[in-house]
Amino acid sequence: MKVYSGNFLKDVITRLLEEGYRVYAPVKEGNYHVFRVVKSADETDFDYINTKKSPKEVTFPENEVLIKYGEWVEELPEQPDRLAIVGIRPCDVKGIRLMDRVFLEDITDPYYEAKRKNLLIIGYACNQAGDYCFCSSVGIKPYSSEGVDILVTNLNGRQIVEVVSDAGKELAANFELTDASAEDIEAKKELEKKVMESFTRKVDTENLEERMKRAFDSDYWREVATNCISCGTCTYLCPTCFCFDIFDDGELKGVRIRAWDSCQFPLHTLESSSHNPRPEKWQRLRNRFYDKFYYMLVRKGELYCVGCGRCSAACPVGIDIAEVIDNVPSEVE
Amino acid sequence: MNAETLERIKEECRKLPAEISYIVGFVRKQSEPREVVAVLKPDEVDKLSFSPLSFNNPARTVMELAKDNKVAVIAKGCDARALKQLEKEEKIERENLYIIGISCPGVIDYRKFRNTVKFRLAEIDSVELIGDEVVVKAGGEEQRIPFSEVIFENCLYCEQPTPKDYDVLIGEPREGKVDFSDIEEFEKLSAEERWSYWMDVFSKCIRCHACRQVCPMCYCNECLVDPSNLAVSPMTPAEEKAAYPRVLGRTVNAADNLIYHIVRVMHHAGRCAGCGECERACPMELPLRKLERKLEKVVYEVFNYSPDEEIPFLSKLDILPEG
Repeated sequence: MKVYSGNFLKDVITRLLEEGYRVYAPVKEGNYHVFRVVKSADETDFDYINTKKSPKEVTFPENEVLIKYGEWVEELPEQPDRLAIVGIRPCDVKGIRLMDRVFLEDITDPYYEAKRKNLLIIGYACNQAGDYCFCSSVGIKPYSSEGVDILVTNLNGRQIVEVVSDAGKELAANFELTDASAEDIEAKKELEKKVMESFTRKVDTENLEERMKRAFDSDYWREVATNCISCGTCTYLCPTCFCFDIFDDGELKGVRIRAWDSCQFPLHTLESSSHNPRPEKWQRLRNRFYDKFYYMLVRKGELYCVGCGRCSAACPVGIDIAEVIDNVPSEVE
Repeated sequence: MNAETLERIKEECRKLPAEISYIVGFVRKQSEPREVVAVLKPDEVDKLSFSPLSFNNPARTVMELAKDNKVAVIAKGCDARALKQLEKEEKIERENLYIIGISCPGVIDYRKFRNTVKFRLAEIDSVELIGDEVVVKAGGEEQRIPFSEVIFENCLYCEQPTPKDYDVLIGEPREGKVDFSDIEEFEKLSAEERWSYWMDVFSKCIRCHACRQVCPMCYCNECLVDPSNLAVSPMTPAEEKAAYPRVLGRTVNAADNLIYHIVRVMHHAGRCAGCGECERACPMELPLRKLERKLEKVVYEVFNYSPDEEIPFLSKLDILPEG
């Protein structure tokens, strides 16, 4: 554990920009923060709990050109050779790691891989849980250094730097870092304890797989979906929702684009036979919760919710993922 | 919008006509002070809640439910206006509704509220509007916030705070007003300034369709500007497919997003209830009411029409002026 006397996050951005990286960092837009490509460290603002949209866009943009075509494939998109994301929270880092398992395991997605393998991740530990946060309930520590190259913690205005990977080490060598004192280490532990105590939401994941399995046919899901409007807000803001659709824009000449899709849209599951396995909105809503808390758990052994709370905070009708999961009936008739 | 209002609502709900099978009202969320729309049985009156955080419009839920049921609904001025519009468009039959109208002083902008309140959301016991102040109580402590600091901006221009059509009314009737001063101010900007304003706004849109989905007036099964949900099934005949207009692709950028929003809003001419659900629903917090209000202004000024008239706007366009 090291200490940096200046603002490490900003100085690291300046350095990365000099080295030719494409840098994504939190920028304040109106009343909220989002990750944007920045041209200078001055554009950034690190005073935030979490960003409005998840940073999944860095490796999985809402629209991505796959090919440009005419009579044949005329052009493949150029991929940036050096990417960095600075100031990402531990829940979102976990989100990227879960996305990796979708896009890189079994079948490798070349577009995702091209960006992911060049991605440098500078994490930023949380000092306070937001009102919708519940990452601690899904096995994430808000100060975790898992999956990052460097983790930065703001300790009473000073920046504590943990160098995690080789790439991180290489980058950190450009900065004057001093060893953290025993007091600093103690203070950081105190801070971690304080963060864990700042969660106001907890989700009961005890025996969840079994509970979900039994509750599938429960009327509970119809009830939960009463107000659902089948919009794509929850899935579009989610750091682990990965569904996409591919379409061509242009007839003889054009681009093939991959665009985010959402399991909440009725046509998402329409099959060639005209059969739709999820024609009703409650079935689609149920699918989202099962995807996060059951299907992926069975397939990959991990919950596909990182507890960032974005969907709960933004749902137009107040559907709250933490409440929904917490209330899954354990006894089903 | 205080404990007394809630008591009056419950009182009215306890003496509903016997043929009512559901109450569409507001219920407080478990982990935060806001209410959500809920469908209750008449014997579940005790679950009801109501506060300045009961900002959602129940009209959409009512539209679904009132097809086969008689439904009682707790409706603020704009909610009742949406119901009225749906009735005019034959989406709801008035005889299936029992409207418990609320004379509404305006609702809270939850985003502003979250930024202003000093308590954690989960700690808050109650939020009431008493006089000009929002009184927030949490664990024995109290915070008073001037209502003007957290009021939903749209409510400042409310035309109909008191429902025009109701079975019972709670609270003293309030006067609405026709006030487009905000739009007039905006119109003073040059075309270039307005263009760059909107291009900046629309560059932030992620086309999640929340604004459309939440809107009581956007009930079409197929949407002209939503290629992801045009109901072309694999069994749709080729001729029919070919006849589908392809206004918009799924490309998300400022220019395409602008088409989406403008086309959507244009279909609300003379219909918008002004509830502001679109703006509240937008995860990117875009000023969508501004578009609707500009259109409302045009409808008033050019066509001399108010959405509160008994006949639909479009049918009025068919009536030729005399002489």
